[in-house]
Amino acid sequence: MRYTELLTQAEVKRTHEASLEVLETVGILAHYAGAREVFKKHGCHVDESTGLVKFPADVVEKYVAMAPSSFTFRGRDPQFDRTIPDDGPIVVTGSSAPNVVDPVTNVERRATSTDIANIAHLINELPGFDIFSISTLADDAPAGQFSLSRFYPALKNCLKPVRSNTPNMDDLRQVVELGELIAGGKGAYAERPIINHHYCPMVSPLTMDVDSTEAVMWLTERGLPVYTTVVPNAGLTAPMTMMGCLVVGNAEFLAITAFQQMVREHTPVIYASLPTVADMRTGAYAPGAIETGILLAGQAQLARFYDVPAGGYIGLTNAHSNDAQSGFETGMNTVLGVSAGATLLNMGGLFSSLMAFDFAKAVVDNEIALMDKRVYRGLEFSEDNLALDQIAAIGPGGSYMGSKHTKQRMKTTAVLPKLAARDMRAQWEGAGRPDIHVRALAEARRILSQPNPAVWDAGLDATIRDHFAGLVAGDATPLEALEE
Amino acid sequence: MGDEGIFEQLKQSIVDQDEDAVLEAVNKALADGVDPKTIIDKGLLPGLNVIGEQFENEDIFLPELMQAAKAFQAAMAILEPKIKEAGGDGQKKGIIVLGTVKGDLHSIGKNILKLLFETSGFEVHDLGIDVDLFKFIDKAGEVNADIIAISALLTTTLIGQRDVIDALKDQGTREKYKVIVGGGATTEEWADTIGADGWAGTAYEAVNLANRLVS
Repeated sequence: MRYTELLTQAEVKRTHEASLEVLETVGILAHYAGAREVFKKHGCHVDESTGLVKFPADVVEKYVAMAPSSFTFRGRDPQFDRTIPDDGPIVVTGSSAPNVVDPVTNVERRATSTDIANIAHLINELPGFDIFSISTLADDAPAGQFSLSRFYPALKNCLKPVRSNTPNMDDLRQVVELGELIAGGKGAYAERPIINHHYCPMVSPLTMDVDSTEAVMWLTERGLPVYTTVVPNAGLTAPMTMMGCLVVGNAEFLAITAFQQMVREHTPVIYASLPTVADMRTGAYAPGAIETGILLAGQAQLARFYDVPAGGYIGLTNAHSNDAQSGFETGMNTVLGVSAGATLLNMGGLFSSLMAFDFAKAVVDNEIALMDKRVYRGLEFSEDNLALDQIAAIGPGGSYMGSKHTKQRMKTTAVLPKLAARDMRAQWEGAGRPDIHVRALAEARRILSQPNPAVWDAGLDATIRDHFAGLVAGDATPLEALEE
Repeated sequence: MGDEGIFEQLKQSIVDQDEDAVLEAVNKALADGVDPKTIIDKGLLPGLNVIGEQFENEDIFLPELMQAAKAFQAAMAILEPKIKEAGGDGQKKGIIVLGTVKGDLHSIGKNILKLLFETSGFEVHDLGIDVDLFKFIDKAGEVNADIIAISALLTTTLIGQRDVIDALKDQGTREKYKVIVGGGATTEEWADTIGADGWAGTAYEAVNLANRLVS
């Protein structure tokens, strides 16, 4: 497929040069001393009194060129491992919302570790999702187990790759320890690290923080999988032009990528972003706005220039329910992303600008994800697919319905949606006029009423629970049971 | 004779939607001296019942349903003459006159319906597409039809269905026939408005409707 390209090659090159100019003349403010040390050692100009780092263009180009062209996510079951761009587009849930829309009362509340277990079970079963980025926080986390209370229920209930972040180094070490227990030892874990780490160390504009930067450095040194997202917000943390926003985000991507290569050469990265244009009527954050899709399309083109995989948070919504806004924001933006060649879509399950997870939204997004993957397959041009033999055999006025050719392809040529209505109005009225939310929630309930085959064996569970005293239960529960 | 294995083979060949296997099983059964009527009742129809259930559960899709029906039809082409030869009347559930209304050239849905009607044991007189309203009425009189089934895909040709019903009323023959309507442009409400005897959203439902109307 030929990707949608919004920029000419000359414009891509000029955007790259402009980003180098920003890094060379404006620089990056690096708050973490360890990072400044790395930059200094590898040819950057560091002002210790201000923390400002300036990057010679040749230094940036040298290190960014070391970034490999692919990135692999690993799951508990290797059949769910995914490498982008080749296995793309891969679809990831939205992450770290503090709240959940209660599936029984439909009222938003703080999310718990049981919600995470249920979401993990659901994502494990929904075919459109490839990666479970832990969707919520866990309000019931015991002291000292903030991150464990998220990763434990997530990993226990999902065979697909699990991805998330940690707020500090103690939590990060604990989570890696959990991974090593699951893998059966440090050596086995180094071979197949099944926890996929993600951070946003770049704080727009042009600033590197302490905690996330330290975590990225620690993981990169150990060769553990970690990637970062840049988050420029036009009007607030970037200029109020699409190109200005792209340049700030690109300079930030180049800085963090050069940093990771300086720490460990040939470390896999993803050019991931969440670019937005702020709604200047109020300053509101607008990840669901169409500009996010346009910016991500530009960024996917830049990623191809650097020969690294591209994607990011695309298809998030500002809507608060499964209404038309939720559908058009997720649908339009992700279609822009995949048609431009983004192969990582961080899109599923969240309302209200990443504030709350909703079970039905995740099921709707599963269906959108399957459509996005279909978009990416495009027209599948081939001599065989021109089907000239068929056209001749059926002839004018005939029907292709009964042919073997049709039968062999009827389940793969088109997406067969589970939720989208294809029946007649009378049938829909007969069923009580169920809207998309009702249909999706019924599917979530159906899935969660089944036993979860992904849960690991009792022996491993006992080992983990012995190691981390006071751990949350981390078990999925049918939604009906929550009603009692 | 009386070998249950052959009936299982007949049934399975229909379930497999495999026309060659159906014909092979039918010929084998005939060679073994199994009565043609028994081949249908104990072998082929149980297979079609399974196909019908699978279709309703979305385990199989419309092209598969049609392949099974076509395989059944191919078997009937052999069996029907033999039943007639033996003096059986090849008893039909009912007689249906079928066509697409005047001005409408769409035939695919109608043809699917014809196949399913025939597979279900109806005698079908297909008038084709772009059918003048009096052709429906004349043919129904000629073959002494039970049902007139009128298809329309285009919203602009829909009124052709009402024209047939109105003409039947004018002639005083409306009560002689059950008139059913269907096709992409139709709804149940439309069918009620024009005074039709029934409407179906899919070919499969239309067969159930016809069964109800003749029973």
